[in-house]
Amino acid sequence: MLSAPSPGQPARGMTGFALRHARQRALFANFFRRELFSRYLGTFTGLAWALVHPLALLAVYAFVFATVFRAGTMNGTSFVVFVAVALWPWLAAQEALQRGTVAIGAYAGLIRKVAFPHEIVIYASVAATLVLQLAGYIAVLVALTLLGEGVRLEGLVLAIPVWIVLAIAVTGLALALSALQVFIRDVEHVLMPALMILMYLTPILYPLSMVPEGMKPWVAANPFGYLVDRLRDALLDGRLALGWGDAVALIAALAIFVAGRWLFLRLSPFFEDFV
Amino acid sequence: MGSPLLELSGVGKDYARVDANAGRIRLVCDLLCGRGAAHVFRALDDVSLELAAGESLAVIGENGAGKSTLLKIVAGVIAPTRGRVSVRGRVGALLELGSGFHPEYSGLDNIDLAAALLGLTAAETASKRDEIITFADIGEHIREPIKHYSSGMVVRLGFAVATAIRPDILITDEVLAVGDESFQKKCIAWIKGYLADGGTLLLCSHSMYHVRKLCRSALWLRDGRVVRYGPAADVSQAYLAYHEEKSAGARQPIALPQAAASGVYAIQSLCVDPPSTIPCGAALTVWGEVFSPDDRVPVVLLGLVRADGTPVYGVATDMDGVPPARVTERHYAFSLTFPRLPLLPGKYFVRAHALDPEGVRLFDHVERSFVVEGETRELGVTRIEHNWGTRRRDEPGSIG
Repeated sequence: MLSAPSPGQPARGMTGFALRHARQRALFANFFRRELFSRYLGTFTGLAWALVHPLALLAVYAFVFATVFRAGTMNGTSFVVFVAVALWPWLAAQEALQRGTVAIGAYAGLIRKVAFPHEIVIYASVAATLVLQLAGYIAVLVALTLLGEGVRLEGLVLAIPVWIVLAIAVTGLALALSALQVFIRDVEHVLMPALMILMYLTPILYPLSMVPEGMKPWVAANPFGYLVDRLRDALLDGRLALGWGDAVALIAALAIFVAGRWLFLRLSPFFEDFV
Repeated sequence: MGSPLLELSGVGKDYARVDANAGRIRLVCDLLCGRGAAHVFRALDDVSLELAAGESLAVIGENGAGKSTLLKIVAGVIAPTRGRVSVRGRVGALLELGSGFHPEYSGLDNIDLAAALLGLTAAETASKRDEIITFADIGEHIREPIKHYSSGMVVRLGFAVATAIRPDILITDEVLAVGDESFQKKCIAWIKGYLADGGTLLLCSHSMYHVRKLCRSALWLRDGRVVRYGPAADVSQAYLAYHEEKSAGARQPIALPQAAASGVYAIQSLCVDPPSTIPCGAALTVWGEVFSPDDRVPVVLLGLVRADGTPVYGVATDMDGVPPARVTERHYAFSLTFPRLPLLPGKYFVRAHALDPEGVRLFDHVERSFVVEGETRELGVTRIEHNWGTRRRDEPGSIG
């Protein structure tokens, strides 16, 4: 519809820089609000889905593992708490990736007609999902504490930075996947089963210590498994000390983001013709 | 003043052409390596234009000529593959129907989105919102998602939004054709006021009426290339002539068996000599054969027509009393010579009609084109004998 300073006319100097950023912030805020309200809060089922889905999954896993398989405790904590701490961030990442991947298609009408930085769509989509899921995560942790389960809420001091590292990596992946999705429509369909398989290969429903020795290095190599371990360290054991591994995780997440963004920016000039 | 608001030099745009999925994967690899697509469709090639503040330019051409691509490049939606684009100022673009609207958003949300795309502050947005709602005039629908709108309502809202911020350059792509009569009038009135206030317009339209009424200059695109760029009246005239010629060319002479079966008089062959070009003032001969279903002598009407469809001269065999000569059964031949054809340089047609022997019923017609060449600054269609004099009006012997 309307395009402010278009590519042919880059706004100059500091005021231009500030102007461009004001516009991008306004756009991000608009998309973000939109994603949050229309997708989740606007409709009853949307809100229910956002809260009930992880809870229902947790209940099913608790039934299968704790009741049927009689796995009462994991590393000394109750199974429900053990899984809840890790399952939530995984579901958040999974949903952010799925929504992010199809976000360009959802905004096709705008992309075909208006000049604006396409990446903002991905940021808004991923941020809306993660912010809502993080709120749900904290709510569940507080609820578990009130129920007398052994959750150490002070662990959030480390857990929230872990979420931020996760968000950086997920954003990078979503940028890459969404750009590829525009050209290769199979990405969306492959992503779903791939994430499902990955979930079982990540120590979410089981501790790494239960994995047979021969396979341990393979399972341990999963970067998401590292983040899960850190969440359990903080929230179940109250170990908050930072190590070299955390620095590596942050750098790896930033590298994924930079690579994903590079790929996105390479392909985004051609979106208009393919969305 | 000084440098133009909009400047394009040598602008071209290629679109990647892919079909199979394997091709798509290769395309992604090519794009990531910065190589560009292997197979491309050249949507736009070597377009240069300038638009100064307060000017108005129409882009005309057939479907698929590259008009929308050009407007999208100016609006910054796509980057050109070649060439340079510079835009100084705020562009308000209405590209096609429902442009820039999110179908799931309500009308109000889309207004806010448009404001965000421009980076308007909350206060500015609030002040514009009422203005937009009033101009669009779609009542309570403003609260519904755009996807439930009729096309007319989408255009109303689109125009209202695009114009509310009073852009430095307004781009509209064939949107005026959609709204109802009264809204069209409102839009035209708005655009005229905008132009009168020094606004700059880039319009894309199939309506030569709008082109001439709203724009000072015009750019004619065909297959992504500029055919003609100049004053709106000239370019639109040439464009109309091209269409006239094209639709005339599509009319084929009636095939002989068909003519014989249906029992109509038909031109069977038509030639001009010299075949394609003649110098101004030289001789031109037209000859051909005509079919007569009942073997009676038909009448042939020959006419000269300018390429834009303007009739210049017409004469029939029965006017001069020289009937076509019988060649074989049911076949008659005719020829006509203009010893010194006085047509001015340009493109013309010879048009031959077959009529019944009474010269009343007109059957099919066949055309052949030819070009008159020459260097002259005379105006009009034909050269008329004339003498310039030096006598004054009241001298004896003057006319009147």
